Amino acid sequence: MLLLVGMRDINFLSPENLINLAADVVPLLIMAVGMTFVIYIGGIDLSSQSVANMSTVLATIALPTFGVGAGILVIAAGLVAGTVSGVVTTRLKVPSFISTLAVGGIALSVGQYASGQQALHMDTAQRQHAFGWMTGQVAGVPVSLILALAIVALAWFIQTRMMPGRIFKALGAGEPVVVASGIRAERYRILAFALSGMFAALAGLMFSVRLSGGSPTLAEGFLLPAIVAVLVGGTPLTGGVGGVLNTLIGTMIVAVVRASMLYFNIPATGQQIFFGVVLIIAIATTIDRSKMRVVK
Amino acid sequence: MFELVNVEKRYMGVHVLKGVDFRIDDGEIVGLVGENGAGKSTLMKVIYGAVQHDAGTLLVDGAPVSFRSPRDAMKRGVGMVYQEQSLIPNLTVMENIFLGFEKPFVRFGAINWKKMAEAARRQLAKVRLDIDPGTITARLTFAQRQLVELAKVLALEERVEGKLVILLDEPTSVLSRDEIELLFSVVRALRHRASFIFVSHRLDEIVALSDRIYVLKDGVVVDVMEAKGADISAIQKKMVGRDINGEYYREDRQAPYDPDRVLLELDHVEIAGQGNDISLTLHAGEVLALVGVEGSGREPILRTIFGMLRPDRGTLRIRGEPVHAFSPAHSVAHGVGYVPRERKVEGIASGMNVFENMTLPQMRNYSHAGVLDIRAERDLAREWIGKLSIKVPSEYADCGNLSGGNQQKVVLAKWRSSGSEIILLDHPTRGLDIGAKEDVYAMIRDMSAHGVGIILVADTLEEAIGLSHTIAVIKDGEIKKWFSCQPKAKPSLYDLIQYMV
Repeated sequence: MLLLVGMRDINFLSPENLINLAADVVPLLIMAVGMTFVIYIGGIDLSSQSVANMSTVLATIALPTFGVGAGILVIAAGLVAGTVSGVVTTRLKVPSFISTLAVGGIALSVGQYASGQQALHMDTAQRQHAFGWMTGQVAGVPVSLILALAIVALAWFIQTRMMPGRIFKALGAGEPVVVASGIRAERYRILAFALSGMFAALAGLMFSVRLSGGSPTLAEGFLLPAIVAVLVGGTPLTGGVGGVLNTLIGTMIVAVVRASMLYFNIPATGQQIFFGVVLIIAIATTIDRSKMRVVK
Repeated sequence: MFELVNVEKRYMGVHVLKGVDFRIDDGEIVGLVGENGAGKSTLMKVIYGAVQHDAGTLLVDGAPVSFRSPRDAMKRGVGMVYQEQSLIPNLTVMENIFLGFEKPFVRFGAINWKKMAEAARRQLAKVRLDIDPGTITARLTFAQRQLVELAKVLALEERVEGKLVILLDEPTSVLSRDEIELLFSVVRALRHRASFIFVSHRLDEIVALSDRIYVLKDGVVVDVMEAKGADISAIQKKMVGRDINGEYYREDRQAPYDPDRVLLELDHVEIAGQGNDISLTLHAGEVLALVGVEGSGREPILRTIFGMLRPDRGTLRIRGEPVHAFSPAHSVAHGVGYVPRERKVEGIASGMNVFENMTLPQMRNYSHAGVLDIRAERDLAREWIGKLSIKVPSEYADCGNLSGGNQQKVVLAKWRSSGSEIILLDHPTRGLDIGAKEDVYAMIRDMSAHGVGIILVADTLEEAIGLSHTIAVIKDGEIKKWFSCQPKAKPSLYDLIQYMV
């Protein structure tokens, strides 16, 4: 795909353009990485986009008062939203696609209410003071990209080298064996949702710093590509296999596809059609049917 | 007459059936035995059309046929009574019997229920089941459902020409003695209507029911014998290809337990919702077997001890300490291990490798501040793979792909390596072949020798008698009788059965 577009316009393959392409995709990548944890245990998080929206608003509002603390506040808000999804899913036994849809609705409203339904702007000096380091470059590579890769590395470490990651894998393989091994499975399920919420908030924070503002619809159109990135990367909806690195690859595929579509002058409004179709194909081809007896 | 001539089947390069010849005459009952992996289930699948063979011929009354699906096979009178029951629980019995074949009852697009009920009653009469065909299937007992399943296959009779061939895959594995007898008498009475292929791990049943017995080993029929006068140990020898140790249950290794070290005590415990009163004591090195018919309440006792159920009343003490918090996490932390009956659901995480499975209940010991020490985990797995001679290419092998015996060894290693002192075994040899069973018995003796207390719900009574120090006979949730089970002074089957039923 890269080459195809490269043939039409050689500038597309220039290092700067590729780096820009990667930097553009940072918020999506972080959101998708968070989503990976939930899909890895066999759930789904539909609240990510709304949580990110909410956090762009909260970050912009909190910036004048708290400075860098705004970031921490926003991440905490995401953690809370994710935890609520997790608790509702595990304790109240509400399927995750409903619980996260509901929490997403709540988060969206919080964003709308807090922003007064309008786009807010960060004060340039304050932004520079608190988050200026995020927008700079090191040796030509944007700091935000380095930061994103560091976050991916951290998530990968959690997934492969830490106890929660191992338990996430076991939960994806089958929850009864986790319970029968004396592990408090519910706690770890909640943790997966909490991590997803936190990563979504982080994605929103970085997005709002980049665009120097916040609005309850800023991250609109992120949810579908994020899910597509996870699934195309190779983490099936039934969970247990795949993981963070797969999502990194999946996100790159999504990024390239999206950029290519711009080059071919496909309007942005048409992109979601494409992602919707890809999502269906990705699910239909990767799902582990042995784990699902009946599709409802 | 149904015949297979020189049937071959390969799965992804593995030669599963190597030129199998198989014949069943009208009205005959043929037993099919073989170890796990001998090719029994593949052979069955070829016969009922779920799998297509690569070479060879299927003949019905001498005419070659080809089955592309189970429905094709059903049209030629070959039907399967599934081990994992295929009935849909929320439909009525008659709907299940005629599922997919409702056409004769349809008039103007609507089903004539009366007519269907009438027809269903005729089918149920064949298997001597006197129930209302409008009953919701979920309300039936397991044995009744098995008979409905048989009736469903027998309903083919009216739709096909020629005689039926019915496959029974492990039909007795979850039935009690009485129910097995009932099933057998029904099968014998149906001989004039159909011939049967009977697959079971229980060789005594095979010998009792069949006319002829096919012994399958490594995809080849190694022997066909008359069941009359067949010797079980001779069959076993043919299946395994070697002599079975006369001391099957390793009674020679049964050492007395330590009466002074009490590991577990149930003091007038009432299991949730059962209204019973259970008291028992488990000592270090003791094997305590709970025996009883299916549904007598053995599993709930195990699940209570493991913390999956909270007792309504009474005290449970682990090493003298009363338990207040009932959860598997609490039990595991206090050294209780559980080898579940549903090995693939609760025992093994398929998709995870050997060391990941083994350390699942004990990750805290293999991590620092949440970071796993994978090198130590692998060392542990390698150690136990060697100790228990688990057949795996490496500790990275996916446990989901292992044979039943090797999976069970991984489950046992998981609890042994985490230092569990009280191990609950729920049907630990279920579905294992003879070689793997022997390994499990040896491991049980090893555990006893190391001072582990074991509560066993065995697959067969013989197993319970052979392995245990103490037997509690359970009926209707209550302990009816205690037996001491010293080597050379063990109670007989009859002694136990009279308290079971």
